Amino acid sequence: MTAAFTGLRAWLVQRMSAVYMLFFIAYFLVHFAVDPPHSYPVWRTWMTSFSVSIATAAFFAALLAHAWVGLRDVILDYIHPMVFRVCLLVLLGFALTAVGAWIVRILWMSHG
Amino acid sequence: MTSKKQRPVFFNLARIQMPVGALTSITHRVTGIFLALGVPFSIYLLDLSLQGPQSYARVIGLFDNAVFRSAVIIFVWVLAHHVLAGIRHLLSDIDIGSQLRPSRRSAWVVNIGGIAVALLALGVLL
Amino acid sequence: MATMHFSIFRYNPERDEKPYMQDFHIDLVPTDRMLLDVILRIRDSQDDSLTIRKSCHEGVCGSDAININGRNGLACVTRVRELKEPVVLRPLPSFPVIRDMVVDMTSFWKQYHSIKPYLVNEEPAPEKERLQSPEDRDKLDGSYECIMCGCCTSQCPSSWWNPEKFVGPAGLIQAYRFISDSRDRATQERLDDLNSDPYRLFRCRTIMNCTEVCPVGLSPSRAIERIRLRMLDIEGHRGGLTLHRVPTIR
Repeated sequence: MTAAFTGLRAWLVQRMSAVYMLFFIAYFLVHFAVDPPHSYPVWRTWMTSFSVSIATAAFFAALLAHAWVGLRDVILDYIHPMVFRVCLLVLLGFALTAVGAWIVRILWMSHG
Repeated sequence: MTSKKQRPVFFNLARIQMPVGALTSITHRVTGIFLALGVPFSIYLLDLSLQGPQSYARVIGLFDNAVFRSAVIIFVWVLAHHVLAGIRHLLSDIDIGSQLRPSRRSAWVVNIGGIAVALLALGVLL
Repeated sequence: MATMHFSIFRYNPERDEKPYMQDFHIDLVPTDRMLLDVILRIRDSQDDSLTIRKSCHEGVCGSDAININGRNGLACVTRVRELKEPVVLRPLPSFPVIRDMVVDMTSFWKQYHSIKPYLVNEEPAPEKERLQSPEDRDKLDGSYECIMCGCCTSQCPSSWWNPEKFVGPAGLIQAYRFISDSRDRATQERLDDLNSDPYRLFRCRTIMNCTEVCPVGLSPSRAIERIRLRMLDIEGHRGGLTLHRVPTIR
C-alpha cells in the first residue's frame, strides 16, 4: 500500500492539491469580503450554482488527498512497528473515505 | 571484561538548538494535524448551513457565542500559519527563497504573518 | 587573561554507568583561536582522558564535528572567544556515543554507501580521462565539497526518526553530486532508487536544519529539492549550487 503510492507521486499530489486549495480559499475569501451571502436563499443558491458546486467538490477532493498525504507522512515518520503503521494507515483511509462519502451526500442533498 | 552494553545517545531536544525554520516546520505539521481533526466539525457546519433556513440561522447564531468566536480565531491562526508555511514550501520547491538567509527571513514572515492574520480576525470578530 | 568556562559531555563505557557533564575552567592564551585548540589544551593540561576525534585541524576532514551550545559544528573552525559561556560541548545528537565526544557513525556511512557514491560508467575507458566541459564541471559545485562530517544528518529531525530508512542530507547531497555528474551513466537508476519507497528521499520535509549547520556552507535541502525536480524531468538550473557564508556559532 505504501510502496504503491511512491514518494514522488504523493509529494506531487500534496503540492498540486495545495495550489488548488489556495486558489479556492482566496476566491472564497474575496467573495465573502465583497459580496457576503446575507441570507439562507442567497447562500444556498450560490453554493448550488454550477461552477461553485463543481469547484467545491473539487476542493474537498483536494482536501482529502492533501490530508491523506500529510497524515500518512506523520504516521510514516513516527510509527515504526509495521503492524501499527499498516493499521493506522488503513484507519486513516477509512476515515477519509467516510468523510468523502459524507461530503458527497451533503452536496448531493443540497441540490434536492 | 565489561559486557557489551547499550551505547548512550545525546538526544535532549531541550538542549539542541532549533533554528527559526525548524519552528515554522514543526508548527506547520501540528497545525496540519489540527486542521485535519477540525474537518469533520467544519463539514457538519456546512451541512447544517445548507439544510434549511432554521439550521442556517443556527450556524449564524453560533457566532454570538464567545467561546465559539474564540475557537474561530484560533482556527484562523491555525489555518493562516499552515497556508503561509505551505506557500513558503511551494516557493522553495521552485527555488525561490531556498537559500539559507532568505529562508530564515521567510520563516519569520510566516511565523509573524500567521499571528497577524489571527489578530485581524480578532479585530473583525470582536 | 580571559578564563573560559566549559561544560563537556563525558562518558567512558569502562567506568561510567551513564554520561555526565564535567566543568572545566581554563585561561586562554593568545594562540587559542579555535575551539579545538582549547579542547586539546584542556586535555593536555587538566584531563588527558578527554576524547575527541580530530585530524586536519582546518575544516576539511570533518573528524571533529560536535554539538557546540546546541548547534552542530566543527571544533577546529569555530572561533572560541565568540562562544557564549558556559560553552556546552556534546557529541553529535542521535548517534550512539562510543566515548566522550566520539560517536558511532555506522548508520551514517551505511546510508552514504547506499546511494552508490562512485561513478557508474560501463563504457570502455578512454585513453586519458573521461572528459567533461567546464560547464558540466560547474554543476558539481555546491555538492562535491561535502566533507562527510555528519553535522547535517545528526541535526535533521527526519534522520532522527528514521535513521535506517531515510538516507539523510549528507547521503542525498552526495546522491545529487553523482546525479549531476555528466560522466555518470546511472542517473535514472539513481533517481529510481531514491523514489523506490516513501522513505529514502521523501522523508525530507525541507526543515532546513541541514543547511543551517553545514560548516562548509552547503545546502543539502536545495540539492534535495533539485533531485525532486529531476525526478520530474525538470532541470531548470544551469550551474551548481552556491555556498553560503557559514553562520557563526555563539
